[in-house]
Amino acid sequence: MDTVTQQIPLEHFLVVSAIVFSIGIYGVLTRRNAVLILMSVELMLNAASINMVAFAAYTSPQVMTGIIFAVFIITVAAAEVGLALAIILRIFRNRGTSNVDEVNQLKW
Amino acid sequence: MNMQDAWVLPLLPAAAFVVLALFGPYLPRRGDFLAILAIGATFVLTLPIIADFTDALAMQGEEFVGVANSIRWLEVPGQLELDLGIHVDGLTVVMLVVVSFVAFMVQVYSLGYMKGDERYGWYYAVISLFAASMIALVLADNFLLLYFSWELVGLCSYLLIGHYNHLRSAAEASKKAFITTRIGDVGLLIGIILLWTETGTMNIQGVIEAAEAGAIGDEKFTAAVVLLFLGAMGKSAQFPFHVWLPDAMEGPTPVSALIHAATMVVAGVYLVARTLPLFELMSGGTELVLAIGLVTTFMSAGMGLVMTDIKRVIAYSTLNSLGLMFVALGVGSPAAAMLYLFTHAFFKALLFLGAGSVIHATEQQDVSRLGGLWSKMPLTGAMFAIGALSMAGLPFLAGFWAKDEILVALLENRAAFALVLLTLPMTALYMARVFILTFLGETKDEEARELAHESPPSMLVPLGLLTVLTVVAGFVVFDQVGEAMGFPGGIGEVIYLHDPHAFEFDVAVTLGSIGLVALGLLGGWYAYAVRIELPARMTATFRPVHTLLVNKFYMDDLYQAIIDRIILAISRMLAWFDRNVVNDTGIDGPALATGFAAYLTKFQQTGKLPSYALAIVIGIVALACVAFSLKV
Repeated sequence: MDTVTQQIPLEHFLVVSAIVFSIGIYGVLTRRNAVLILMSVELMLNAASINMVAFAAYTSPQVMTGIIFAVFIITVAAAEVGLALAIILRIFRNRGTSNVDEVNQLKW
Repeated sequence: MNMQDAWVLPLLPAAAFVVLALFGPYLPRRGDFLAILAIGATFVLTLPIIADFTDALAMQGEEFVGVANSIRWLEVPGQLELDLGIHVDGLTVVMLVVVSFVAFMVQVYSLGYMKGDERYGWYYAVISLFAASMIALVLADNFLLLYFSWELVGLCSYLLIGHYNHLRSAAEASKKAFITTRIGDVGLLIGIILLWTETGTMNIQGVIEAAEAGAIGDEKFTAAVVLLFLGAMGKSAQFPFHVWLPDAMEGPTPVSALIHAATMVVAGVYLVARTLPLFELMSGGTELVLAIGLVTTFMSAGMGLVMTDIKRVIAYSTLNSLGLMFVALGVGSPAAAMLYLFTHAFFKALLFLGAGSVIHATEQQDVSRLGGLWSKMPLTGAMFAIGALSMAGLPFLAGFWAKDEILVALLENRAAFALVLLTLPMTALYMARVFILTFLGETKDEEARELAHESPPSMLVPLGLLTVLTVVAGFVVFDQVGEAMGFPGGIGEVIYLHDPHAFEFDVAVTLGSIGLVALGLLGGWYAYAVRIELPARMTATFRPVHTLLVNKFYMDDLYQAIIDRIILAISRMLAWFDRNVVNDTGIDGPALATGFAAYLTKFQQTGKLPSYALAIVIGIVALACVAFSLKV
C-alpha cells in the first residue's frame, strides 16, 4: 500500500512551506493593521510546522521529535496569540487605532 | 622580665591605643586610666630589663654586645628572608628609660591639661600609639621594623600636632610637619632599600658588619648613608628641615613636650647613633653630621633670642640641643650625644610642661603679654627656672654635664669649638629672657594675671618629678654613681657599648663654659629685669639682624618660593596635562565619539513597526546568504 511519502516527494512539501512562509512575510511587511500582521505571523509559524512534520516523516519516521516540535509550535502560537491580542486590545483602547504605523511614540 | 621579653613593652601602649580607639566613648573617663596604666606598666617593666642588662654586663663585661630576639616574618624560599626582632643593648636601654618615663609623665600631666577637651579619648589613644611606636623604634634590630615605627611616629605627630583641628593654623602646622619629615623619610626608605639590595640583610648589625667588610660599593654606600642621614635630619628637624618644629607648637603643650623630649625628634639622633659606624666608614660622613649640627645649633640659638611665643622659644632651644647632639655624633662622641639626649629629655619635658602650666592658667602664650606670674604660680615658676637654668647649662644641673662633654670632645676641632662656645651665652640669654618676661616684672596683660593660678596636682606632680631628675640626672656621669646604680664601669661604658668612653673633664673648658653661661644669664637679667628699655634699643640698633632673625632667616619664605615657583609650576603643567590630555582626550574623547556615533545611528529608531520588521527580514536574508556562501 502506497503511503503519502511514496506518492509525493519531499520537495513539494518544502515548496508549499516556502510559499506559505513568503506570504506570511509579505503580510507582516505590508499590512498596517496589527491583527492582520498577527495572522501573517501565524502563517509563518505554520510554514515552519509543515517543514518540521515533512522532514520528520521523510527522514526518520520512527522518531517523533519533529512531530512533537510541531505540537509545541502550535502551543506556543496559541499562547502568543492570546498575549498579542491582549496587547492589541489595550493599544486600541488607549489610542483608538490598531494600525501599527500610527503607534510610533517609542523612538529617538 | 628578661631582655629577650622586651618585645612586650611596645605592645602594652599599642593595646591601649586599640582599646581606646575602638571603645573609648563607652569607657568611663573615655579610658584615660587605661592609657596611663599601660604606659606606667611599660615604664615599670623597663626596670627589670635594666637590671637584667646590668647583670649581663657584669657577667660578660666587654664581650657583651646586647641581646637579640627575632622571628622569621616573611620568607620566599631562595629569594627573600625577612626577620622582625628586637635588640637590647646600652643604647636601647637608655632610650627605653627616657621614652617610657617621659611619656608616662606627659600622660599624667595631660589629665589636668587636657581636661574637658572635646577629643579627650582620641588624644589619649594617639599619645599611647605614639609611645608604642617610639619604643618599637628603639627596640628594632632591623631596618624594616625601624622604618615601620619611624612612619608610625610621623603619623602620630601629625595627628597630635593637628589635635585642635578646628584651628586652621594647627591643621597647616600638622601638614607642614608631616610633609617636611616625609621628605627625609623617603630618603630613609631609599637608603634602607639600597643597603638591603647591596648586603642582602635588613638587620642593622648585619648591615654594619657587611659594610665594614667592604661589601658595598663606594658610591652606593655613600648614597645610602647620606639618604639615611636625610631621614634623621627630617625627623630631628635639622637644618634645612628644621622649619616644621617651631610650627609644631600648634599642638597641645604636653604633645610638644613628648615630641621634643622623647618620642619624635630624638629618633633621628638615635638612628645616627645606632648606625654611626656607617657614617665613620663613609668618607666625609661624620663631617656632614657635624656641619649640619653646627648650622642648626647656631641658627636656632639666634632665632630663640627674638621669638615672643613662650613655646616657640623653647622649640628653638630644642633645635639648639638637637644640633649639639649631632655635633657630638659628628665628632665621634656618641656617648656624649646620648648623655645629652638622656638629660635633655628631662629638662626639656620640664620646660614644656612648665610652659603648659602657664598657658593652661592664663590662656596666653605670648611672653610680651605675660609677666609677674611668680606670685601667682610660685611652684611652676621655680620649676620652670630650674629647667631654664639647666637648658642654659648652669653647673650641676642636667644640661651642664653633657654640654661640657661635647665641648671636651670638640677641643681638637677649633672652628666647631668656637661656634659652639658662641651659642652658649646666646642660649643662656634667651632662657633668662623667657623666664624673666614670663614670671618677673610687671604684668602686661591684666586678663592673664586675673586668670593665673597654680596648676592642679596632676600637673604639678609630673613637673616635680621631672625637676628632681633635672637636678640629679647629670650625676650619672660619675663612675661612682653609675656603679652604685649597678652599671659596672660607670654609665659611659653602658650608653654606647661599641665605643666605651669614660667621661672626661677639662677644667679650663668647664670654667670657660660656666663663664660664658653666666655672662648670658647676667646679660639677660640686666637687659630684661634691670634696664628693661635696653632690648628695644638693641633691636633698633641692630634692625637688619633682628629682622633676619624674626623672619627665621627667611627659610620659610624660601620654601614658600620653592613651592610657588617650582612645585606649583610643575603641578600646573601636570594639571594642564591631566585636564587636556588625560581628561579631555583620553576620557572625554571616547565618550564623545560614542555619543556622536549614537547621534548618527539613533534616527534608525523610527518607532515604526514595519521598518523594524523589514530590517529583521533583510538581516535574516543576509545572514542566510552568508551561511550558504560559507557552506558551498
